[in-house]
Amino acid sequence: MVTPIRLSVPGALRYRPIAVRVVAEAARLVSGGLASARDAKPSSVDSLALDVRHPFDTAVVSAFMEIFNNIAIHAYQRRGSGTIEIEITLSSDAIVIEVRDDGRPFDIDSVAELPEELTEESLPEGGMGIHIAKTMLDEMTYEPGPPNMWRLCKRLPASQVAVGRS
Amino acid sequence: MAAPFETTTANGETKLIVRNTLDINSAPALAEEIDKIVATRPTKVLVDLSGLTLIDSSGVAALVKLYKGVRGGGGAVTISGARDQPLAIFKLLRMDKVFNL
Repeated sequence: MVTPIRLSVPGALRYRPIAVRVVAEAARLVSGGLASARDAKPSSVDSLALDVRHPFDTAVVSAFMEIFNNIAIHAYQRRGSGTIEIEITLSSDAIVIEVRDDGRPFDIDSVAELPEELTEESLPEGGMGIHIAKTMLDEMTYEPGPPNMWRLCKRLPASQVAVGRS
Repeated sequence: MAAPFETTTANGETKLIVRNTLDINSAPALAEEIDKIVATRPTKVLVDLSGLTLIDSSGVAALVKLYKGVRGGGGAVTISGARDQPLAIFKLLRMDKVFNL
């Protein structure tokens, strides 16, 4: 069993970039990073830059950002109190992120589906976060607590596993 | 680092450049800028997202607000340059067709 990566941050939005950075770097360890050799520019690679271009990294980071927002806004009511516990487990072809909080449980069933036919009039101005997270991931579960727990899972397509790695 | 967004007006066209990350932490400031843009009832607004690397649902909501606000005032909005993660989000939300991305 590989040791998980663990991070605790205060349950406030200003700490989100720290958590996003950790998740992005963890995702890159699974995906191998850059979307393709075409995009590889060794001279311009800045190890401190947030690089979210590979579809796997995109999916993981997009989903995680929405879940973090949800916890800070709904569970902790934007009060900035409480803790968000993040536990990341990596394997060669998948990432599992468990996110726990001790705030208000979220009513995930209350989330409306996106309109079937998206037109100018039906463009949503909210309620997209959970839809983004769910669609980007292979599995997403939520268990009300305490602690409440979100479990996010994304697998790398078989064709991309170990590509470009020695 | 360059400001996350910048508005210029020339020849009756308003250009809004959004860079880096547009998320729940930066969207409120952009929303204020958008209110100002919409209040001028512009006839043509160009949104350049070529420097945008990361967006979340709050950022999308801000851009939808701009789109609806300008269109509601009889103006036109052109969104260009979306790539990588932001483009994936617009596609997931099926907004790429509405925005002609």
